[in-house]
Amino acid sequence: MFGFSPSDYSAIALSVKVAITATLLSLPFGFAVAYLMTFNKFRGKIVLDGIVNLPLTLPPVVVGYLLLLLLGRNGWIGRTLLQPLGIEVIFTWKAAVIATAVVGFPLMVRSIRIGMETIDRGLIQASRTLGAGRLDTVTTVILPLSLRGIIAGSVLMFARGLGEFGATIIVAGNIPGVTQTIPLAIYEYASSPGGDVMAMALCGISITLSGIVLIFHEWIGRRMDRAG
Amino acid sequence: MKSIIRKCFYMATFILSAVSIHPASIDLSIAASLKEVVTELSNDFANMKPAVSFKRNTGAPGALATQIENGAPCDIFFSANADWADYLMKKKLADAGSISVLAFNELVFVGKSGLKVNGLNDVVTLKKIAIGSPKSVPAGEYAMEAFTKADLVGRLKYKLVMAKDVRECLMYAERGEVDGAFVYRTDAAIASRNVKILFIVPQRLYRRITYTMTLTGSGAGKKEAADFYRFMHSAHAKKVLVKYGFAVK
Repeated sequence: MFGFSPSDYSAIALSVKVAITATLLSLPFGFAVAYLMTFNKFRGKIVLDGIVNLPLTLPPVVVGYLLLLLLGRNGWIGRTLLQPLGIEVIFTWKAAVIATAVVGFPLMVRSIRIGMETIDRGLIQASRTLGAGRLDTVTTVILPLSLRGIIAGSVLMFARGLGEFGATIIVAGNIPGVTQTIPLAIYEYASSPGGDVMAMALCGISITLSGIVLIFHEWIGRRMDRAG
Repeated sequence: MKSIIRKCFYMATFILSAVSIHPASIDLSIAASLKEVVTELSNDFANMKPAVSFKRNTGAPGALATQIENGAPCDIFFSANADWADYLMKKKLADAGSISVLAFNELVFVGKSGLKVNGLNDVVTLKKIAIGSPKSVPAGEYAMEAFTKADLVGRLKYKLVMAKDVRECLMYAERGEVDGAFVYRTDAAIASRNVKILFIVPQRLYRRITYTMTLTGSGAGKKEAADFYRFMHSAHAKKVLVKYGFAVK
């Protein structure tokens, strides 16, 4: 199809893999942070809010560069933690996952929070007075009632992850077959003479994937409306 | 209100007319590896002719050629090969007959000084190696050519980090994020002390690295651009090229 090379196919597969991994990895943390922000009052809440939301407004290149300085061979975490353990992150697909997770995290937290804020507080209080523990309330009341926000957040983050470029190119580099995702492959084709056809073909794939994600989002939303 | 609009209008007219009487400007698209030398020479030229100013755009020659194809302003195109100049010629974007050879270079492998790498066959034992993306960076094309001739392509697969230009390649090596990088001898000369040339890639493995200079369609019609083009072939220019480590014959 379109004369894609093996490295183009692996770019498509890798984009999906990175976006899915980053989303699944962020889910528990996203839920925990959203829960903390919605139902608790504590010191430094504004600071946490700021840190979580910062990647949303920062240029992704800044996020990538800071991650590189942190995780790189001469970086703080890189030198003290990753190297002694023999873990290599920079220029591997793990770096792409981390970059995607950091950049997409605020989107997920926001969506889950919106979901949680619509929960009737009376229901939570009722479950508590009826003897449910804190954890019980979370798993049997809050989790099911904020499911819509969780799904919306995951879909949003997945879609954002498919398109992550700025942070990824800095920390994961551009290794065909290993870290080259769709946006990186497009970037490479777009800056090489005669690469227009291939760049357009990959843009087509990108648009198709985004379309599928949006349709899925709509579909699941309607299904839940009907069920609710 | 009306007077404010009128004032804005005068202001805009004034600013626009100020731009149009600006001294003759020459737009250069420069291969990343030529950045310093062309900057110095264009400054020399501008000192001789104060009415001329330069706009310098550096990057991978393939990327620069794509920009020119899409309408980026460029009078003279500097490439580390002849291919992209030929490409522009075929698209009728370059002045036929103006492609000329500017200088020559050599491909080297740079890395940490402690690394035991003495030739191409040792490179396959490393984990990550940076090269310029062969789709648009000639340094990467020459490197791939050498890998193909030495029959190492299969063993280097998944190890090659594709840099957007040869200087990014060098930066990856300097920062230690890759074990080594294939760059030009002239790039290695300006590298930080962290890295050094570990070996020179044997010339028999790749075509000689030949820098070309080409007048584009707009450049051919600009007297100042043609003057600078000739200046780049002068004895003074050759001396400066040699100073930066380029071969001129």
